[in-house]
Amino acid sequence: MADSQDRKWGMVVDIDRCTGCNGCVVACQSENNIPNNLEEHFNQRRAIQWIRIERYWEGEYPNVKARFIPVMCQQCGNAPCEPVCPVYATYHNEEGLNVQVYNRCIGTRFCANGCPYHVRFFNFWEPEWPESLKNQLNPDVTVRSRGIMEKCSFCVQRIRRSTREGERDEVQVEDGDRALSPACVNACPTTALTFGDFNNDSSQVSMMKEEAMANRGKKEGRGYRLLDNLGTEANVIYLKKVDNSAGAVHGH
Amino acid sequence: MALNRRQFLTLMGGSAGAAVFFQACGIPEKELLIDSPIEMPEDLVTGIDNWYATSCRQCDTAEGIVVRVMEGRAKKIEGNVDYPINVGKHSPRCEAGVQGLYHPDRISSPLVRTGPRGSGEYREISWEDAIGRLTNELQNLEASGDQSQAVLVTNPIGGHLGLVADKFADVFGARRFTYEPLETSVVRKALSDVFGQNSMPDFDIDNSDYLLSFGADFLSTWASPTRYSRGYGEFRQGHDHRGKLVHIDSRFSTTAANADEWIRVNPGTEGLFALAVIQSIVSKGHISDSVVNALTGGDSGWLSTYSPENVSEEIGVTPETILHVGEDFSHSNHALAIGGGSAAAHSNGYASVKAIFSLNHVADNVGKKGGVILNPDSPIGGLEAAPSGNSFAEFQRLTEDMQSGTVKVLMVRGADLFYGLPDTSGFKGRSANVPMIVSFGGMMDDTTSMADLILPEHHYLEDWGTDIPLAGVGYELVGFQQPVVRPFFEDRGDNLGTKGFGDVLLALAQVMQMDLGLNADTFKEVIRESARELYALGRGSINAPTFEAFWNGVLQRGGWWDVNAKGPSSAEPDRLDGISSPVITGSGEFNLMPFASASLLDGRNASLPWMQAMPDPISTATWQTWVEMNHKVAEERGIKEGDVVTVSASGRSITALAMPNPATPPDAVSIPFGQGHRDGGRYSAGRGGNLMAILDAVHDETTGALAWAANKVSVTPTGEWVRVPKFENTVPDFPRDEHNHVIELTSEDTH
Repeated sequence: MADSQDRKWGMVVDIDRCTGCNGCVVACQSENNIPNNLEEHFNQRRAIQWIRIERYWEGEYPNVKARFIPVMCQQCGNAPCEPVCPVYATYHNEEGLNVQVYNRCIGTRFCANGCPYHVRFFNFWEPEWPESLKNQLNPDVTVRSRGIMEKCSFCVQRIRRSTREGERDEVQVEDGDRALSPACVNACPTTALTFGDFNNDSSQVSMMKEEAMANRGKKEGRGYRLLDNLGTEANVIYLKKVDNSAGAVHGH
Repeated sequence: MALNRRQFLTLMGGSAGAAVFFQACGIPEKELLIDSPIEMPEDLVTGIDNWYATSCRQCDTAEGIVVRVMEGRAKKIEGNVDYPINVGKHSPRCEAGVQGLYHPDRISSPLVRTGPRGSGEYREISWEDAIGRLTNELQNLEASGDQSQAVLVTNPIGGHLGLVADKFADVFGARRFTYEPLETSVVRKALSDVFGQNSMPDFDIDNSDYLLSFGADFLSTWASPTRYSRGYGEFRQGHDHRGKLVHIDSRFSTTAANADEWIRVNPGTEGLFALAVIQSIVSKGHISDSVVNALTGGDSGWLSTYSPENVSEEIGVTPETILHVGEDFSHSNHALAIGGGSAAAHSNGYASVKAIFSLNHVADNVGKKGGVILNPDSPIGGLEAAPSGNSFAEFQRLTEDMQSGTVKVLMVRGADLFYGLPDTSGFKGRSANVPMIVSFGGMMDDTTSMADLILPEHHYLEDWGTDIPLAGVGYELVGFQQPVVRPFFEDRGDNLGTKGFGDVLLALAQVMQMDLGLNADTFKEVIRESARELYALGRGSINAPTFEAFWNGVLQRGGWWDVNAKGPSSAEPDRLDGISSPVITGSGEFNLMPFASASLLDGRNASLPWMQAMPDPISTATWQTWVEMNHKVAEERGIKEGDVVTVSASGRSITALAMPNPATPPDAVSIPFGQGHRDGGRYSAGRGGNLMAILDAVHDETTGALAWAANKVSVTPTGEWVRVPKFENTVPDFPRDEHNHVIELTSEDTH
């Protein structure tokens, strides 16, 4: 197994495959102990979804399109959320992850202001579950208390567990291994999400990234980063939606 | 190394200090692994997790799942990588199974009603007592020779559970009904006539290059959406040539949103469109004579009535649109046509769906790559896929029998009749004439809360089962469902708690000395006995020296299949008939286009908070019943998002929140099924409106199924406004300009 310090996690999102089904969203809720988003949470615009599906309208009936894009923490290489944290609750780890240390967080919410992707969520309340539903909570993931910022971690608990178990059992944790992949990636019915190690040239994500970014402007060069002009060096690469219909506009 | 508390704290203080020190001096040689799951040394002994394979029962597909279990508690559900239907993928609905298992409102013991019906007043009784009460009632009927006055209604169940339920009803002499709110009988009958098979075939979307779909929201809710979605991903980007999806529908569904082209047609004319496509292809001669003869009965003359020119006006499209689709369809290498959903929910539903599926004979794709793959018979004799439900017309007759007093004991399992049968059926009122209603529901729903006796069943993650897939994969497959955790209410003892439905039926049979001919005392044994038959075949996915090893292998992999035992490779086309105009009732100005909610489906998942909170793909709305309407029409009428409106169909009405959007046709409104439960636990009771209740009794001419898309409604604002609980606008919009798009587009011609 490659030394864990050599790894750099990333994701490739093919929005031409995404159907907007929300499978990733529910998988994430289940894996990461995200409190139930009740009706009042939506009404207060304080629902928490580490990964979300954004839906964009285009045109008017009958020439109308709806387009979907999954958005999660982009695990920026140059993350705007990190330098603003006064207590190092959010920092960059060696594996390229932008991690959130909950017991350091004091809830200044500076990071959420700094994040251009709006993927950081603040716990305005103490999370609550009926007693019996607590049986479902994932013991590998902390329940975040009131006043704490939280966000997508690329399911770091899965990376940790599979690495640890791999070391223990002396087996190679392969890139793309389901025990390593985030819950959303495993769930996605259309395989729109691919997760892996960008530092491993033979990993699927590396090859996809290489093809998508090196051939930009060509048919297979569909890669782009969200809000790339901000220089965040995001580790999530999107592959453009293909639209062959005449009169398709160039984006949203 | 053993540490005492003092040493431990010293060590922790040291490392924390070191971390701060390193922050100041640059990157440390080996960083401390501080991360979201806080790995404090105290927690370092992480639990061992086990993943058990079983079948999902959140929808009718029964996808293969694996459940992560730690310390006896189910934590997470994922797709079973081995299982041929979903190959590791799963729908958002599968995930919520764990919430059903640990739902705070589960019933933890048999109950007998103490107050008036519907009052919710119950008293706990023992299983012994409960089974005694039910057998008493049944034996009274037996004594007077009135066994047929007992009625057993279940949801569509196949596999061994279906077998036990059928045998129980048959041996006792009870009448047996199968109920599903959104009936599949139209599609199932059409498929069986077109392809000569009772089960649904597989659609090789993966290898298709031109997919024509009619009404069926196959990427979200129709038939086997996970399997189809998996195929769709490959259809888009898995091959050199990107497939083209054309969706013909009267509503802008998730599938329409993902289509390259959405062709909006008038409600109930989807089949007419398909027939016109067939006519255009036949008239151009792009089809063999034998197929034309089989489809038209030897004389293709009548088909010209349905030429694009003749029917385009009724459909609401130009003749060129139909001709264009016909050209593309006949010139593609791997054209495929599927249909159902709202296309089947009209008075002409059967004829429509038959025409739609017959397009596959036109494309000559049956048994071929990228086409329709037929399924073999079940490998175990007598074990079948779940049947389609009895038609709405048959349930209407049942309510008449209730009225006349010839239904004495109504036993209900997994079928929420009080919720799903439209008010016009008179079911609710007539149920007062049924002396005894028994429910096997593990949670209150609109029907269970009206029952006199409740025998709560296990959650499916606690129970045994098998599944012959409704929509198979083209070869023999038997899914196995096993308990992944011990029953949650086990601590209440053997005489309280929940029990499996199969086991309860076997117990009833035993008490009443009925011989079901199953040669086993428990439901698990019934399944094991059948597994011996599979073992004896000596082929398939599990190769084992002994039966015990085989049994473990089957449970480990979640099923048994044999990729070599394929279905037939061809089917004879069936003669088509003309398609009549749809019957549309009501005097309102909008066509009502109901749809199955992406998360709640027909309402069965409404009790689960993750499903309630899952944003609808199109509207992003949650937790409520909303009505989609065209935003320009809404503006003209002064209706804005969140306005509470009354939607009325022939005198019956519900209220819903207005959700204007640019995609809804100006003459239509769309409302999801799924909300409006009177009961069903804290997350669903009294929430939203029940669209089922207000539908008119329009039937499919052939099958008698409820035509749920055949209503016209009026929409009237009540003057009230509430905020729509939706995900949209929860986070601020991205900054965008002409150079920076959130969703970037490309066309394949780009170079």
